[in-house]
Amino acid sequence: MTRLSETDIGLLGAVALGVLAVGHRRGRHQQAPRRDKLPALLGRGKTAARPPDNRVAAHVPLDAAHVTAARRLNKSAGLLATSVLLDSAVEHYRGSFQNPAMITPLVSALLTLGVSLHGVGDKRSGAHAVRDTAYAIAGLTGAAGTGFHLYNVTKRPGGFSWHNLFYGGPIGAPFALAIAGLLGVTAERVRDNLPGRTPTILGLPAGRVMAAVSAIGMLGTVGEAGLLHFRGAYHDPAMFLPVTVPPVAAALLGETAVGRKGVDHRFTRWWLRLTALLGFIGAGFHIFGVARNMGGWRNWRQNLLNGPPIPAPPSFTALALAGLAAMGLLQDHPDA
Amino acid sequence: MPERFPGYNVLQKRHTPSWDEQTRRVIDRRLAMSREPRFFTAGEWQTLNALCDRIVPQPKHRPPVPVAAMVDQKLTKNLTDGYRDARMPKQQDAWRRGLNAVDAEAATRHGLPFHAIGAAEQDDLLRLMQQGELDHPAWAGMPCELWFNQRLVHDITAAYYAHPTAWNEIGFGGPASPRGYVRMGFDRRDPWEAVEAEATPAHTPRTTPRHG
Amino acid sequence: MHTPRGTNGRAPDPFRIGGWMPMREYPETEPVDFAIIGTGAGGGTLACRLAEHGFSVVAFDAGPWWRPLEEFASDEEHQAKLYWTDERICDGDNPLQLGSNNSGKAVGGSTVHFAMVSLRFRPEWFKSRSKLGYGVDWPLDWREMWDYYTEVEQALKISGPVNYPWGPKRPRYPYRPHEVNAAGLVLARGAEALGINWAPTPLATVSAPRGHSPPCVYRGFCTLGCSTNAKQSALITWIPRAVRAGAEIRDLAMVGRIETNNAGLCTGVHYQRDGTAGFQAARNVVVAGYAIETPRLLLLSTSNRFPDGLANSSGLVGRNLMVQTNHAVWGEFEEEIRWYKGPPSLALTEHWNYDDSGKDFFGGYAYMSQGPLPQQWVATQTGNHGLWGEPLMRAMERYNHQAGLKIVGEVLPQESNRVTLADETDQYGLPVARVTFSLCDNDKRLVRHAVRHMTDAMRAAGGRELWHETDNTAHLNGTARMGDDPRSSVVNPDCRSWDVRNLWICDGSVFPTVGGVNPSLTIQAIACRTADRIRVLRARGEL
Repeated sequence: MTRLSETDIGLLGAVALGVLAVGHRRGRHQQAPRRDKLPALLGRGKTAARPPDNRVAAHVPLDAAHVTAARRLNKSAGLLATSVLLDSAVEHYRGSFQNPAMITPLVSALLTLGVSLHGVGDKRSGAHAVRDTAYAIAGLTGAAGTGFHLYNVTKRPGGFSWHNLFYGGPIGAPFALAIAGLLGVTAERVRDNLPGRTPTILGLPAGRVMAAVSAIGMLGTVGEAGLLHFRGAYHDPAMFLPVTVPPVAAALLGETAVGRKGVDHRFTRWWLRLTALLGFIGAGFHIFGVARNMGGWRNWRQNLLNGPPIPAPPSFTALALAGLAAMGLLQDHPDA
Repeated sequence: MPERFPGYNVLQKRHTPSWDEQTRRVIDRRLAMSREPRFFTAGEWQTLNALCDRIVPQPKHRPPVPVAAMVDQKLTKNLTDGYRDARMPKQQDAWRRGLNAVDAEAATRHGLPFHAIGAAEQDDLLRLMQQGELDHPAWAGMPCELWFNQRLVHDITAAYYAHPTAWNEIGFGGPASPRGYVRMGFDRRDPWEAVEAEATPAHTPRTTPRHG
Repeated sequence: MHTPRGTNGRAPDPFRIGGWMPMREYPETEPVDFAIIGTGAGGGTLACRLAEHGFSVVAFDAGPWWRPLEEFASDEEHQAKLYWTDERICDGDNPLQLGSNNSGKAVGGSTVHFAMVSLRFRPEWFKSRSKLGYGVDWPLDWREMWDYYTEVEQALKISGPVNYPWGPKRPRYPYRPHEVNAAGLVLARGAEALGINWAPTPLATVSAPRGHSPPCVYRGFCTLGCSTNAKQSALITWIPRAVRAGAEIRDLAMVGRIETNNAGLCTGVHYQRDGTAGFQAARNVVVAGYAIETPRLLLLSTSNRFPDGLANSSGLVGRNLMVQTNHAVWGEFEEEIRWYKGPPSLALTEHWNYDDSGKDFFGGYAYMSQGPLPQQWVATQTGNHGLWGEPLMRAMERYNHQAGLKIVGEVLPQESNRVTLADETDQYGLPVARVTFSLCDNDKRLVRHAVRHMTDAMRAAGGRELWHETDNTAHLNGTARMGDDPRSSVVNPDCRSWDVRNLWICDGSVFPTVGGVNPSLTIQAIACRTADRIRVLRARGEL
C-alpha cells in the first residue's frame, strides 16, 4: 500500500532528522569542552561542578563557555523560528493572507532564522546589533501576533469560546515567535559577558535566566499542543506525550532557575534530551496523521492544511535544546 | 446575462482529488446519455421541449443541458420519488396527461399546439396553471397546479440541476471526494472552488413569489 | 445493486475497499432468538446489542448493503439509490413528502442518509402531559434515558460542543465540535443579536480520526451518503459490531408478513430475497421498519386471530403519525456563504425547546443552519418559493450567497394522522402504504412563531430578500406508540407489544410524542435500553 510506504518514509525522515540534530549538537561541541555524558555513564561519579582540567578538549578556555551557551541559544532560536516559519506559512496560506499583516511573521521568522545561523557560526564575545534587532523584532512581532490572534478569537460569534480557540488563530503560534525572539535576545545577553567571569543577564545569573526562559517557552508550547490535542480528542494515546513529558521538563528547568545551587542536574539533562527527541517523534506522528486522512498525500492541499501541523512538534526540540544550553552553561559556571 | 463564474468548469476537476472513480463513472454516463426520446411520442416530445425552454431557459452560447432527454429517461426507467400525492396519477400517466392537457389548453386559447405559440403566451398559460386556473377536460381531474408543481417544474428543474453545466452556472463546488473543503468561512474559497466575477449583475426582480 | 451481499458466510467490510468480514449464518428452519425487520437506528442498534448480549439474531433489510468508499458518488441524482423510492400514497390536508426527505432503504436504514444531528430530548418531554400540559406521557424516566443517550453518544463518538447550553448536565461529547461554516455563523450572528444561546451542532461524524474513520473532509454530501466513512451511520457502527458479535444481516430481503400460530405468538417472518421466497423461524420478532413500513407490515400480517393486523387491539397501529415541521426562512447575504461546504447543519439553537415564555402553543422547536446542494435547493426554490423560468435561473445564480434557518418543530399526536393500506400494490405484490397527515392548529401556531423568530434572526444577521417556506416536514414517528396501558398504546415501555408477547417494535414508531429535536439519538437510546431490558427479562425467565 502506497500510504504505508509514504508513512514509513516520513517516519524514517523524522528519525533521521532527530539523529542528525542530536549528532550535530554533539559534533558542534568538538570545539567546546565535551560535557558529562559518557564519563558519567561509565560511573565516574557525580558530575557536580568540575574544575576546568577535566575537560576532554582543553584548547578552548573556560572564558568561551558563555559564547558556547549563546551559540546554542542562537541555534534554538533558529530551530524555533524555522518551526514558526513553516507553520505560519501553511496557516496563513490557509488564511489566504487575507490581512496583509499576515506576511509579517514569515518575514520575521525568516530573518530570525538568518541571524540565528549567523550567530551559531559567530564565536566572538559581545552582543551583535543586527542579531539583537532581528530578535527584538521577532519578539515584538510575536507579541503583536498574539494580540492579533486573541482579537481574532474574541471577535468571532461565540467570543472567547472553546470553538473559537480550536478554529480561530492559534494563540500559541505567534507566542512561539515571541519566544524565538526572547531566546535570541537572551543569547545576545549571554554572549555579552566578559570572558572568564560568571556570566549574567541583566545582573541575574545567566544560566538560571536561560533555564527560566526555556521553561516559559516550554509551557507555552505545551499549552498549544494540549489545546490542539484536546481538539483532536486525544484520539491516539501518543497525543498525551506532549502534555506529560515537556511539562516535567519545564518543571525541572524551573527548579534549576530558582532552586539550590550545586544540585546534580543529570536527570534534568536526560529529560531534556527526551523532550528534544519527542519533538521529532511528534513530527513523525504528524506525518502519519496527514497520511491517514482521507485521500492521504494525494489530497495534500487539504490534508497539509487541515491535518496535524508537521512543523509544530520540533518547537519542543528547540526549547529542550535551549534548556540544555542552560544546563551546559551551569556546568561550566555553577554560579550562573 | 454575463456569466457569474466565468471560466469555471467542474469537469476540469475530474482528475483532481475532488473526483473519485465512482463519480467519474456516474457523470460520464449522464453526459453520454441519448438525446432521443424513448418514453414520449413525437408530439409530446415537442411540447416537453417547449416547456423545458420556459421552465429552465438556457443561454444560447453554450451547449444545452439535455433536460427533456433527462426527463424522458426518468420516465422510461420509471424512477419514482418515493411518494405520490393521492390526488395525482402515477408519474408516467401524469406526464402524458399533463402534456396533452397543455396542448389542449393552447389549442383552445390560440388554435395552436403549445410549442407553436409565442413565449409570452406560453408563460401566461404556465402562470394560470401554477395558480390552478386551467380546467380543460383533458386534465381529467388531475389538478393542474399540482401537476405544475410536482411533475412539470419538479422533474424539469431536478434534471437541469443534476447536470455539471448547471453547477458551473451557480458556482457549486461539484463533486468532492476524497477532497472536500478547507476554508469554510465568509468570503473564503479554496483554490479549487469557483471564482465569482467582480461585477455581479444587480438583483433582478422576480415574478410574484407565491410565498414570503 | 441487485444481488445480496450478506451471503456465503461473509459480510461487506465497509472500511476496506472490496473487503469482507466473516458473518455467522443461521438456518431458516431453526428458530433464532430474534428476527429483526429493518437495520436502521432502531433495528441496527438492537441487532448489535442483542447479539452482544448473546442472543442469536437475524436482521432483515429491504435495502442494499452499500460499500461507501467505492460506491457513494458525489452526485445527488445518482445517490437517490439510498432512499425508499417505492411509492407511498400521501393525502390529508398536508400531504407528506417522503423519499429523500425522510425514508431510507439500505442496511443502516435512514442513518445512511441522515444529517447526523444527534440531540437529546428535553427531560420534561418524557412527561409532556404531566409537566407541560400537552400530548401524552412517555412510560420512561428521563434519568434512565440520560444514561442511554450517553451510551449512544459514546458508541458514535458524537462530535459536539465542550459545553452544551441547554438542559441538565451531560457528559462531555466524546469528540470536539466541527468548525462552524459561514452558513452556521449566520445562525450564530442572529442568535447573538437576539440574545439567545447557540452552539455548534452535535453531529454523528467525527472531527478527529476514529479507528478506520478519517475525520470529516467537509465535502457537504452528507445527506447523499458519506463516501469517506467519517459519518457514523449504523452501516459502519452498529452493523459491523452486530456481525462481529454473531448476528446475521440479510440485505435485499423484503419481509412481507409476520407469521403467527394458533396460540397467537409469532413464529417467524416471510420474506423475499433474490427472487426467492423464504421463511425464517424465530422465537421473537422485532419490527423496526420506521414509522411507515412498521405499521404497514403489522397491518399486512392479518390472520383469523388478528383480523385488524398484528398488535392492533388498541386500534392504534398506524395512528398518531407525527412528523416534525421543517419550515425554513431563507435569505441572501452580501458575503459569499458557499453553504455546500461541510455538514448541512453545523450550528443550532435549542432556545425554544427550553424557554416556553410567551408561547401561544404547546411544544418546542430547535432550528439549524442549512446547506442544500443544487437539486435540493432548486426543489425549495420551486416547490416552496414558486419560482420558475428566468427568475428561477437568476435566483439560483445567487446560490453562493444564500443562508437559511430551518426548524425541527414538534407536532402533536393526532389519531387521524395515520398509515393505512392503499389499494395499489408494489413490486412485491404487497399493498402500498397510504399516509394521511394534517397539521393541527397548535402545530401551525408553532410554525408561525418559529417563522417570525427566524425572520428576525436572519434580518439581524444581515440577511436580505428574506422569504419563508409554508409547507415542509421531516422525520416520521408515532405509529406504534409505547405506553402503560394496552388500550391506548401498542407496546409497553420495553417495546414489547401488548397483544403478542414475542412481538416487539423498536424504531421511531414507538414515540408517544416527538419533541423538538431530531429523533435518531432517541431511537438508538431506546434500542439500547430495549436490548438491556430483554436481557433482564431472559434472566427472569420472562422472555
